This record gives sequence, structure tokens and C-alpha cells, in this order.
Amino acid sequence: MPNQNQIANPHTGQLPQVKGPQMNDRDFLNDGLATCKYLTDSLNVAVREASHQQLYADMLQILTQTHQSAREMYDLMFRKGWYKLEAEEQQKLQQAHQQFSGYSTQFPYH
Amino acid sequence: MPATISSTLQSQVPIPQPPRVITTKDCSYLKDALSWELLAFKKFHFYAQQVTDPEVKQALEKAGQMHQQHYQKLLAHLQVNNTAAMATIPQTQMQSQQQQNQAQ
Repeated sequence: MPNQNQIANPHTGQLPQVKGPQMNDRDFLNDGLATCKYLTDSLNVAVREASHQQLYADMLQILTQTHQSAREMYDLMFRKGWYKLEAEEQQKLQQAHQQFSGYSTQFPYH
Repeated sequence: MPATISSTLQSQVPIPQPPRVITTKDCSYLKDALSWELLAFKKFHFYAQQVTDPEVKQALEKAGQMHQQHYQKLLAHLQVNNTAAMATIPQTQMQSQQQQNQAQ
């Protein structure tokens, strides 16, 4: 029986019927996404440390574009059915909302 | 990174904003970033040749081209005249004192 909370497309990407040790399309795309994730982490530090405005602006643009590229790869993986999402149970959401709503007594701004 | 200061104070100081100079730290980060970008676009190009799905191939090539452009953009920041830029920076009191101390 399929999980009622699962969100995923049918597998439409070209994957081998019998999976062997060779990298397949999904592996290559997944590794490309991992590369972009690593780059955004590293670039973020470089942007934060940049000395002058022009260098900062250029590096920030590179960081933003790398984020967008990672997002495009994620979107493609989702379309190909290579990325599964799972919805949280309604009850868990309500519990969390109730818990954090209770902290309003700690708010300094009213 | 400089601390935020008020605009009134800013107009009075000898160097109102960080000059277009590549600092030692900038240079280290630029070299790092260039190495990451180079590896990234070589990798994406290689991966694009390996995959069978045309849509995946196109996505990988697009990412590879983007990283090569980033490489060019970063590289330009290393082709600057630091000596000329430093010559335009006014000497501050602290620097003059340091030089005096060294001379003594």
C-alpha cells in the first residue's frame, strides 16, 4: 500500500533495469547537485569576508546564481521521479504550532 | 568586513570605504573559489558526456557553462593594479607612527 503522505512523480528518467556499480543518470545529476551545494556553502563564507564593494557584489551574484542552478537540478530530479517528499501529519503540525504559539509571552515587541 | 558606521562619521575619515584593493584574504578566497569553479565545470562537462537522458545532459551542460563564466568573473578580480590603488590611499596617522617606530 503506497504511503498516503508521499509526494513523488513516477520514474521517467532513464535508469538501467538492473542496477550495477556504474554511475547512472540519476547518480551524475545527484553528484552535480552535491557539487553546487558544496559551492554555495564555500562561496557564502567568501562573500561574507570580501573586502571591497565590487568584489562583494560579484561574489554575491555568483553565490545567488549557484543557488539557482542547484534549485534547477533539484527541480529536474523531482520531475524525473528521483526525489521523494513526504508530508508531515496534520496532528504534528498542530502540536508544533500550539507549542510555539505558547512562547508569545516571551516576545519583547507587542 | 568593516563595521557599520554612521554616514556623518564616514565623511570625516581619511578612507571613507574599503578601496578597490585585493587584500591578502581576498586573494586566498579568490584562489580557493577559482579552484572550486574549475573543478565544477570540468566535472559538469564530463558528466554531461556520460548521461543518456537529453534533458539531464542539457541541465549538466548549462551548469558547466555557468561555472566557467563564474571562473572568468573571479579571474578578473586578480587582474588589478594593487600598487596603483594603494598609491592613492591617504596615509593615516597610525601608519605614519608605525613608520616612525620602524625608523627608530
